[in-house]
Amino acid sequence: MIEKYSILSPGFERDAPRELVLLSIISQSFFQPFSLEDNILVILTALTSGSGVGFNRAMLFLKDGDRLKGEMWLGPRSAEEAGMIWEVLSTPGIGYVEIVEHNRALVSKNEDTLSARLKGLIYAADDENALIPASAACRKEILLVRQASGEPLVDRRFLNVIGVEEFLCIPLLARDDVVGEIILDNAITRTPITPADVKLAGICGLMAGNYIYSATLHRKLLDMEKMAAMGEMAMFVTHQIRNPIVAIGGFTDQLLKPDVPEDKKVRNLTIIRDEIRRLEYIIFQMGHFLKVSLKEPVYFDPGPAIAAVLGSPEVQAKARGYSLNVKLEPCLPEILCDPTSFGEVLRNLLDNAFEATPAGGAVSLRGYRKNSSAFVLSVRDTGRGMTNPDKGQLFTPFFTTKEKGMGLGLPFTKRVMDTCGGKIEVQSRAGKGALFKLIFLSREREPTS
Amino acid sequence: MKKKILLVEDEKALCLLYEEELSREGYDITAVTDAETALAKLVKTAFDLIITDIRMPGKNGIELITQIMGMRKDIPIIINSAYQSYKEDFMTWAADAYVVKSASLDELKAKIKELLGD
Repeated sequence: MIEKYSILSPGFERDAPRELVLLSIISQSFFQPFSLEDNILVILTALTSGSGVGFNRAMLFLKDGDRLKGEMWLGPRSAEEAGMIWEVLSTPGIGYVEIVEHNRALVSKNEDTLSARLKGLIYAADDENALIPASAACRKEILLVRQASGEPLVDRRFLNVIGVEEFLCIPLLARDDVVGEIILDNAITRTPITPADVKLAGICGLMAGNYIYSATLHRKLLDMEKMAAMGEMAMFVTHQIRNPIVAIGGFTDQLLKPDVPEDKKVRNLTIIRDEIRRLEYIIFQMGHFLKVSLKEPVYFDPGPAIAAVLGSPEVQAKARGYSLNVKLEPCLPEILCDPTSFGEVLRNLLDNAFEATPAGGAVSLRGYRKNSSAFVLSVRDTGRGMTNPDKGQLFTPFFTTKEKGMGLGLPFTKRVMDTCGGKIEVQSRAGKGALFKLIFLSREREPTS
Repeated sequence: MKKKILLVEDEKALCLLYEEELSREGYDITAVTDAETALAKLVKTAFDLIITDIRMPGKNGIELITQIMGMRKDIPIIINSAYQSYKEDFMTWAADAYVVKSASLDELKAKIKELLGD
């Protein structure tokens, strides 16, 4: 017998040991599509929620270059506010996602007070003689401070901001690096911090440090990928623009020579005008690809959109001289996509199919249910097909096998499909045509009365 | 007798420009827009020099050069590409010269003269 369990279990029992609840909240939040900021908020939430470690307030410093900067401070500003917040958070059935939502609102509300005051605090991150709180991060030590006002190693400016006598400093470490520091206190309840609290907060700090480290690396990687794509783009643009420029320059030089016959003048000027139009087209296409921001996907009936694309003058003109075969299941389901992008994607695929197919060849469009929650729209051509290396590069921006193509149509299609949770599949062999399948998430339409 | 040059360039406007400008320099130009046609012409005619682009639909310039080397090692080849970066690709080193496309044809003309010993 085999039992299967879900990796995520959001409804973790409230009476479970607090260590388990804490680990559950933090580790599960890392699976969510939360931003770095939101996940940091989850960590602070876990440290301050009653079901987690249970501190009253949590303050976060992050390392930025060689400095430690105050970033976020989560917690109530007064006993009254604390009472209200803790009442909300103890509502039965409330999960950590709701708690994070609640705390996001709290942090933005506190921008004027707690977090704003914290943002003025900046310390050197590698000063061996740093004062508390920075010394915890600099020396990679957990520090529990009691009777802070009598302690000369505590920075007075920090003490004025935090306003309590007892607090705990947890350095956030990843490998051998410091990525930040968390400071915890019980400003409202005045409950003393116990050794058990320190241990649990320490574990939390290790998890948080490793998360921040890997999230920062991931961001850097994305930046590098963007830079590589920019390099690729710059190379492509150079080529695309250089050819028309050579033609414009060369034919202009000819015009500047003496005694150019009238018919040659007209010919050269026509070529120059056409090349300028081509440059304009290149710039328009580039701008469209770079600027276009995709809208939120929604469920809609694709029937009218397909009819609009097929009936458009551009598609009608291109379909002339081909046998266009359309077969759609009756009563199409609703599909999840941005309707405007959907139209563009379909037009792109049809354009490609017509361009790849020799005149007189067949292009077919099919629409059918793959299962109860997926709808397939496929475009098949009977053109030259593709080799395996070409197939591998289809979705790479600026890769094209077409004479005049920009290589941006299929990368755009992939972006649209990724955004709406769909998929694009390609089947092709050299000389055997190509089949492009768009697979959308779908749902059946509500029956109309 | 005029020296014969085979020009392989898929951009029709550039083909026309090069054909006119190089004919004016006293060369006999045969211009084609793809590698397959270029190979067919090479079988029939004894060219003195070949100028080829790299990025073309179908067979590209590098594949064309590799095939020419198997047929006629003695013909000087000039690569004329919009891409500076192909210069670093060792596959292009088999060519005798690499001239990046420019609005001025002076460098290309000078290289042709040099390779033909004019």
